[in-house]
Amino acid sequence: MSPEDLAFFGLAGVAVVTALLALLVRELVHTILWVSVFFVALAGLYFLLAAPFLGVLQLGVYAGAVTILLLFGVMVTRKRIFSREAATGIGPAPLGLALLTIVLLATGAATASTADRPLAMHPVVALANTLFGIDGGWLLLLGLTMLGALAGAIYLVREGRE
Amino acid sequence: MTSLPLADLLGLSAALLGIGLFGILTRRNFILLLIAVEISMNAAILNFVIFSAFLSGDAGVNGQAAAVVLVGLAATEVAVGLAIVLALNRQRGSINVAEASSLKL
Repeated sequence: MSPEDLAFFGLAGVAVVTALLALLVRELVHTILWVSVFFVALAGLYFLLAAPFLGVLQLGVYAGAVTILLLFGVMVTRKRIFSREAATGIGPAPLGLALLTIVLLATGAATASTADRPLAMHPVVALANTLFGIDGGWLLLLGLTMLGALAGAIYLVREGRE
Repeated sequence: MTSLPLADLLGLSAALLGIGLFGILTRRNFILLLIAVEISMNAAILNFVIFSAFLSGDAGVNGQAAAVVLVGLAATEVAVGLAIVLALNRQRGSINVAEASSLKL
């Protein structure tokens, strides 16, 4: 089994298990935390499938923005975040995980090699030409859709609507 | 190009779509429903990325471009969905979709 296969089966297992856990756990906040792990596993799969830009986008949009938006939705629609009294303070496991993440990120940033090939050869350039190029226009369409959605969302939540 | 087996990759995508559909059909909480839709949406995006990895040249890049647009659309959908959650919560004081039946005939 090659390392690529091993990474795929590991990430696929994490994705399926966390997706199931997200829909089956009782606590709504735990659901959102599990689904954020699911999004991170999918970002790893995108890196494995030679789509690094999409992997970064997945981390930023899903693991970042969508998770926070969902947590915000839970916070404003419930009187209490947890259905029963939760322990306060930070336990050793989350603290260790956070420290491990910081150490891994620091070593990764220290050992990352600078770009050793010209930018025009990079595979992301072809994607950028498709997205922003003269024959693309996809991002323009996406932007217009988002503008319409923004107007719709403001209409839905404005004050004094019966 | 990737050396991973195509059948395994597509199997993962199908499994995620199945999990998402299970959530859509069985959950009653609106936020859980949104999350289930997101899981199915991610299965579709994964499909685009899988096929773009197996194609070389322009066809592969087009698949990734479609995936980028889909990620943006899914994020937009969550924003509008949460606006509906807030409106529902203000009008009825609950986000149970079984109680939101005022549009039924």
